[in-house]
Amino acid sequence: MLGTLTIPARNPFCSSPEISRFSSVRSPPSTPTTARRFTNRRCTVSSVCASPEVDSATATATETRRSGSLYEVLRVKRTASPTEIKTAYRSLAKMYHPDAVRSDGQDFMEIHNAYATLSDPAARALYDLSLGAQFQRRPFEYSAARNRSGFYPTRRWETDQCW
Amino acid sequence: MSEPAYTVVSDSETMGEEKTTSTFPEIAIGIDIGTSQCSVAVWNGSQVELLKNTRNQKMMRSYVTFKDDVPLGGVSNQLSHEHEMLSGAAIFNMKRLIGRADTDPVVHASKSLPFLVQTLDIGVRPFIGALVNNVWRSTTPEEVLAIYLLELRAMAEVALKRPIRNVVLTIPVSFSRFQVTRIERACAMAGLHVLRLMPEPTAVALLYAQQQQQTIHDNTGSGSEKIALIFNMGAGYCDVAVTATAGGVSQIKALAGSPIGGEDLLQNMMRHLLPDSEILFSNHGISEIKSMGLLRVATQDAIHKLTSQTSVQIDVDLGNGSKICKVVDQEEFQEVNKKVFEKCESLIIQCLRDAKVEPEDVADTIAVGGCSFIPMIRNLLMSICKKQDLYKGMNPLEAAVCGAALEGAVASGVNDPFGNLDLLTIQVTPLAIGIQADGNNFVPIIPRNTTMPARKELVFTTAHDNQTGALIVVYEGEEKKVEGNHLLGYFKIMGIPPAPRGVPEINVCMDIDTSNVLRVLAGVVLPGSQHHAIPVMEVRMPTVDDGHGWCAEALLRTYGSSLDLVTVQKKI
Repeated sequence: MLGTLTIPARNPFCSSPEISRFSSVRSPPSTPTTARRFTNRRCTVSSVCASPEVDSATATATETRRSGSLYEVLRVKRTASPTEIKTAYRSLAKMYHPDAVRSDGQDFMEIHNAYATLSDPAARALYDLSLGAQFQRRPFEYSAARNRSGFYPTRRWETDQCW
Repeated sequence: MSEPAYTVVSDSETMGEEKTTSTFPEIAIGIDIGTSQCSVAVWNGSQVELLKNTRNQKMMRSYVTFKDDVPLGGVSNQLSHEHEMLSGAAIFNMKRLIGRADTDPVVHASKSLPFLVQTLDIGVRPFIGALVNNVWRSTTPEEVLAIYLLELRAMAEVALKRPIRNVVLTIPVSFSRFQVTRIERACAMAGLHVLRLMPEPTAVALLYAQQQQQTIHDNTGSGSEKIALIFNMGAGYCDVAVTATAGGVSQIKALAGSPIGGEDLLQNMMRHLLPDSEILFSNHGISEIKSMGLLRVATQDAIHKLTSQTSVQIDVDLGNGSKICKVVDQEEFQEVNKKVFEKCESLIIQCLRDAKVEPEDVADTIAVGGCSFIPMIRNLLMSICKKQDLYKGMNPLEAAVCGAALEGAVASGVNDPFGNLDLLTIQVTPLAIGIQADGNNFVPIIPRNTTMPARKELVFTTAHDNQTGALIVVYEGEEKKVEGNHLLGYFKIMGIPPAPRGVPEINVCMDIDTSNVLRVLAGVVLPGSQHHAIPVMEVRMPTVDDGHGWCAEALLRTYGSSLDLVTVQKKI
């Protein structure tokens, strides 16, 4: 069975065994598929599960509240220790988790995905490498436009209460 | 039942009541609906308090008896004797039956209960009946649960002297989203609004997080992370969770669960004591029901005694001429229930592996639920987690409801000046959710143990040339083939522009939002295009109603493979 995740291959979730089981062929980060993701209209989401490349492109095109780096998402230094990352994740979770604050959960998803990458030593090393590379090339100029043409965020209608 | 024992409270009606916006938020109560016992707890302003019924009981038997005109639940009814519950007039074990089709093995295992569980084995809702004056009166698990919840609600309203609307319920890990909708329906019938549904061990994890915070007084949780394994086994279900706790945040790392429990231990023992018991009891004659009740009570009693003694003498006259006189020891009990204990073991090991946690890293092993008293279970936990002892800081029967009450207070926005409610649970999905593709394969889109809220997507394509439609059939579960999983719903995408097979990209996105609502979105993109070729479909799941068991077959019969999807094979 062959499957491809549309989330770019550098995303930590791709390296989890549950998913990779279904994606014997990984999509390289440069496949156009990446741009056709079901993204939210909100700018901040562009960095949710986007690879650094897509990230940097969207960051230039749209003004993101928290731009680019996963380290900035977690508000830690590039040199932060695993413990610091964990602590930062927890304290941010307390501030941004939908249970703690009325929100649609996008902020928390962004924080969680940053944590998922940075708390995994292998994924973090790979991500650090890509951070260095991002200044040399800037592909995916079209991705920002694509992101905007994505799906609307879901809403809870009153009829949802009915059966 | 001359008039319905429950009322459907419409949202608009109660919204008016809620307008009385006092300075104090309405604190949601926590309810633990157990297969055999239920309890209710609430945050009383400084701590969690279990509510008692008029007979001063904190734990109430989960059953509804249809003896008289008005059905009576275990909250208000007083059993004169245990046998009264086993006369056929009382329905119990609702939690094992709710939302299950008549092809489900758990439903089949319930056929030897004193009340009537009839199956047609075609994937519809089983027929359930209570014996009233020699008539099998039909009911449904939802109705029985609603009657029971209504009693619980009345009890809580008396105890708290205020109307109750919001509740946090605990549910088993292995519950499908379809079963969850049945629980929600039962709550709505009882006029209750479900604020949160928590997998049982995650409620225990929240209580543990609070206890840890109280002992450490270290609000920053500066990396002093403690990993706990929570094992919860009651009468109907066995659940395991691994949680990482620091600073009042309980991050669930993994969940595992199965519908095995004390009921299985009991039935195995009954079969062991009376080998042809199933044939005898499936007839549901009056005298057979009576014998079954006698055997059930005696066996239950023996299992309880075996938690503290090495052997037990069973002496029971079944009334139909057969007598059972037998000594059962620990070894025999363990041998008879070997498969159940093996399943428990595999759940614990699977949960640790999914959480990527070594037994050495587990700081505390917590065993809760009625079956946590069984020596075999305790030894199993201690040996897998390499511990000398289990966690002692909790009442095994009250931990889940206390956690639910804490969540109720947190989710209602209550603040505690001492920081006792400075808590958060980061939940994960208990089961994988995906669609049917590549024939009858189950392709997960949101894997098990994904942190919620979550949004993930996968690209599929058409299986045939010029295929203009595609069927999105959504399943939940862990099996490789769709047949082994729970069907959640289905919808059709139409108007795919004609193209050779494998060309159209069909994006399927799954979104679980803050309220744990699952939405499935599907869009079509042709290569070279930047936009969706047709309007995107957005469907809230589950869409299936009763009779979900044969939906999949009906779809196959009608459409064959004409609307099939395959996963995308990327050209590199």
